[in-house]
Amino acid sequence: MDPTRADPEALLAAAEREARGKLRIFLGAAPGVGKTYAMLSAARAAKAAGGDVVIGIVETHGRAETEALVAGIELLPRTNIPYRGRLVPEFDLEAALERHPGLLLVDEYAHSNVEGSRHPKRWQDVQELLAAGVDVWTTLNIQHLDSLNDVVQRITGVRVRETVPDMALKKADEIILVDLPSDELIKRLADGKVYVEDTATRAVQSFFKPSNLTALRELALRQVAARVDSDLVARMQGSAIQGPWAAGERLLVCVGPDMAAERVVREAKRLADLMDATWFAVTVERPGHVMATRDRHRLEAGMRLAENLGAEVRSLVASDVPAELLRFAGFENVTQIIIGKARRWSLRAFLRGSLADALVRAATGVAIHVVTADQPEPAGRGLPRLPQAGPLAGYVVAPLGVGAATLLGLMLTRVVALPNVSMLYLLAVLMPALLYGVWPAIIASTLSFLAYNFFFIDPVNTFTVARPHELLALLTFLIVAVAISALAGRSREQARLAAQRMRATRRLYEFTRKLSARPDSASVVEAAAIELHAALGSASVILTTQKGELAIAAAWPPEDRLDTASMTAANWAFDHGEPAGAGTGTLPSVPWFFRPLTGAKAGTPIGVVGIERTAGVPALDAESEGILGTLAEQTAAALVRTQLSAEVTQARTAAETERVRNILLASISHDFRTPLASILGAATSLIDYGVDIPAPARRDLLLQMRDEAENLDQMVRNLLSMTRLEAGALDLRRDWIDVVEIMNRACSAARRRGATQRFVVTAAPDLPLLRADPSLMDQALGNVVGNAVRYAGPQARIGLSATVIDGQLVIAVTDDGPGIAPDVLPHVFEKFVRAVRPGGDGGDGSGLGLAITKGIVEAHGGTVAARSPAPGQRTGTRIALRLPLEPAAPAETEETP
Amino acid sequence: MSGVSVLVVDDEPAIHRFMAPALAANGYEALRADTGTEALSLVVNRRPAIVILDLGLPDMDGKDVIRSLRGWSEVPIVVLSARDREIEKIEALDLGADDFVNKPFSMGELMARLRAALRHRMQEKGETPILRLGDVEIDIPRHRVLRAGAEVKLTPKEFELLAFLARHAGKVLTHRHILREVWGPANEHDTQYLRVYVGQLRAKLEADPANPALIVTEPGVGYRTGE
Repeated sequence: MDPTRADPEALLAAAEREARGKLRIFLGAAPGVGKTYAMLSAARAAKAAGGDVVIGIVETHGRAETEALVAGIELLPRTNIPYRGRLVPEFDLEAALERHPGLLLVDEYAHSNVEGSRHPKRWQDVQELLAAGVDVWTTLNIQHLDSLNDVVQRITGVRVRETVPDMALKKADEIILVDLPSDELIKRLADGKVYVEDTATRAVQSFFKPSNLTALRELALRQVAARVDSDLVARMQGSAIQGPWAAGERLLVCVGPDMAAERVVREAKRLADLMDATWFAVTVERPGHVMATRDRHRLEAGMRLAENLGAEVRSLVASDVPAELLRFAGFENVTQIIIGKARRWSLRAFLRGSLADALVRAATGVAIHVVTADQPEPAGRGLPRLPQAGPLAGYVVAPLGVGAATLLGLMLTRVVALPNVSMLYLLAVLMPALLYGVWPAIIASTLSFLAYNFFFIDPVNTFTVARPHELLALLTFLIVAVAISALAGRSREQARLAAQRMRATRRLYEFTRKLSARPDSASVVEAAAIELHAALGSASVILTTQKGELAIAAAWPPEDRLDTASMTAANWAFDHGEPAGAGTGTLPSVPWFFRPLTGAKAGTPIGVVGIERTAGVPALDAESEGILGTLAEQTAAALVRTQLSAEVTQARTAAETERVRNILLASISHDFRTPLASILGAATSLIDYGVDIPAPARRDLLLQMRDEAENLDQMVRNLLSMTRLEAGALDLRRDWIDVVEIMNRACSAARRRGATQRFVVTAAPDLPLLRADPSLMDQALGNVVGNAVRYAGPQARIGLSATVIDGQLVIAVTDDGPGIAPDVLPHVFEKFVRAVRPGGDGGDGSGLGLAITKGIVEAHGGTVAARSPAPGQRTGTRIALRLPLEPAAPAETEETP
Repeated sequence: MSGVSVLVVDDEPAIHRFMAPALAANGYEALRADTGTEALSLVVNRRPAIVILDLGLPDMDGKDVIRSLRGWSEVPIVVLSARDREIEKIEALDLGADDFVNKPFSMGELMARLRAALRHRMQEKGETPILRLGDVEIDIPRHRVLRAGAEVKLTPKEFELLAFLARHAGKVLTHRHILREVWGPANEHDTQYLRVYVGQLRAKLEADPANPALIVTEPGVGYRTGE
């Protein structure tokens, strides 16, 4: 798809959204961060700007500072709804729709309405208001978001009952994050500044813990981060964010690490195209399950492919894969699920049935397509992979623990007869299992088994087992040990993954924010290169197409060239849209790993990102590659955005050029037409009616023709000078000139053109001669005087003065007219800037005069300045030309300091 | 023609400077106004026979001057306008201006327009049942058209169009105005009708249809019916 063209359907959607009211959500991590306060402050600003702002409902909870903000804004009265024998005040939707304000504030998006209201939930009220075209601002805490409900419960141990479906958040046109550091929030709570129903309850205490608040802030940040760049790109393309609940089919394709992945994705794309459906590509990672590098590559390739084909990709984490898939499907309103069926035989599938079978069994209301692989995959490794080994310390601690358990057991059996010493060994197994993972735990359990056998089971001090049921006990013990360690390991792994994800999210958020602040592509790639270097710890380079060829756009540490082989690899990656260089199948001897930068929507890469690797060394590890992938995507999105904005700027510049050209044409045609009309009118009068016109009037007509011809000549000269000045082709024929003389000439020229003003020329005694181009200086000063005549009014006094200040000659033209407006003053020396004449149409003069004066004076090494009101006056304008004096003045003049 | 006063409204002193002697030489009395407000008060107090109006005035739009004048005065208005501002001319004519002259103009042309506008206004007052256009005679009550004494057969629509043009001889009529009056408001934009009928009228009435003298095209604006 051409990213520079707005998608017509997106535009249509945008138009639909235009008609709808706009929803702005003030999102916070927890109660008390100041959402309502922020909303009210913004509303006051909107009202001050003239908006029609009405408060539908706001809970001030008696906070004085919040209540102060409410004052002065129109407040809708609440309606009282009878419920169980009493009246409950509620937000009055009817009244709000009737009042139909420009902007309505409705606090607490997640609020559940009392029974008997029109909608059970307040967010539904808001949707109705939006549909009616009312803009709504509301507030929401992250824990009320449906999809995060479980996560929040896990984090805080508190079940949130009032929830809002995610689409109700997605429908927001704007999300504003209201953030407050956890410590500050806890302090506010302690100060009683946070409203909660009963501060003393255990639930509240456990909720407002620093760790909880940090986690909640993380969640809120993540929600907002997910929108930052996609929002920008969407807006620039003139498209609205895709309506998540578009009518019609919604597909979900499950991407796994098997060979069928690509085929399944393509099949899904085909189906999605046929049905014109939105589609998701989803992968579910099981916590604690570490994938082989090869599998991870396949999975990522599948997901990338899906993304490039236009899918929305999601990575989920859950132990129960089918349940998670169905939860996601239900949540996203998915109607059809596409899944691949690997031909690889696995124990798991044999015991529990394949994922496809599980999905078919559990799904309701969803169609499931099963796509089979073309070729049976070669069998994988025989043994199921065990989770990774822990750090070395575990292998030291395990035997020590077993030793300690043995000693303790031996001591205790001396004192009391223990029925089951094995319990002690369980402790010895549990500890490494919890702390160091499965391998130390297995070693510990094996050692425990042996030690227990040796020291406690008859015959003691041998490894033989006399009674069969003892043997059974030992085996059970081993199995329990392994199971516990696996379980502990899994929960540890899950925590690690969660932490890692959170770090990655935070980093991504920061990066996205950084990029979105960059105005142009050069600074985007530079920021990206630095970020890559920081994240991956190796040199990075970003190449983009410049004049049709791939060239380095940024590198960190700074670098401006790559060797030929590396360039070849980069080009290959760019042309084929696949990674190349170190660790790949293409040009692996190159010391760089290149990955194409692909725009979010465009199928073709817009550049290549490279990471320095030692040649021949295996590719990046999965985590680094993940980081690289994410950063590359963000960079690409930001680049697309800056390209769009560059195009917008270009279009604006073109429009500006066009505007200037139009002004030029208009002013030339107007300025030339008036003298031409006079000349033609006077001439034809003389030709046709000359006999009937008395002699003095005839002479006046002739004089008029001469004056107007001179006027025209002046204008032509100005235009020519402007052209020459702009081309830098002004050639100065310097000569010694008397400044008083040119001042007098400028006045008499103005009078000849009908100036009625009073001219006063003053000059310092012993004024040195100026070395300058006489005709150009005439023009420069003539234009300034002409300007004063035009704008100062017919009765004005126009003063011309010449003095020497700091070795420079200053010629100033001062009038006592109305002066120049402050907003126009800085632009008076620009081309085509014309002031509005007192009582005039402003369409006079070409707007070139002062620009030419500036050009001429600067060509002589001088400067120009305009001041209004003129110094020492309350009105008027003073325009000063400062020209450098040459020391070698002619002999007959004395130079004055 | 002595004693006929002409009001010249223009903010350029240069225009007044050459117009005054030329108007005087033609026997007109020239009145000068530099702004729209001045023009309106002069029309009230001095009752000029005709107004020459520049559209670019410092205090108000020339079109607003026409609008105000037409509220209470039938004085003929000749507009001075730039050649490249067709829209402005059409708007001025639709507001009730009688004619326009492109800047820059020759004095002879302006005088001819003044004469035509004045004569037209006098003819209008007469309300004669028989109208004349050059050698063409239009007998309104009998629906008969004679050209140099010989009868010319016209369709009812052709007659209606010709009669309308003849009634407004000496005035520039915009396409829209003609269409609205002759074909009705629904056909205001169907200029192709107009072109076809004007072609037919020219073929039947003009001495040289390729160089029409009776019905003259004003490019982009409308038609002027010959003197």
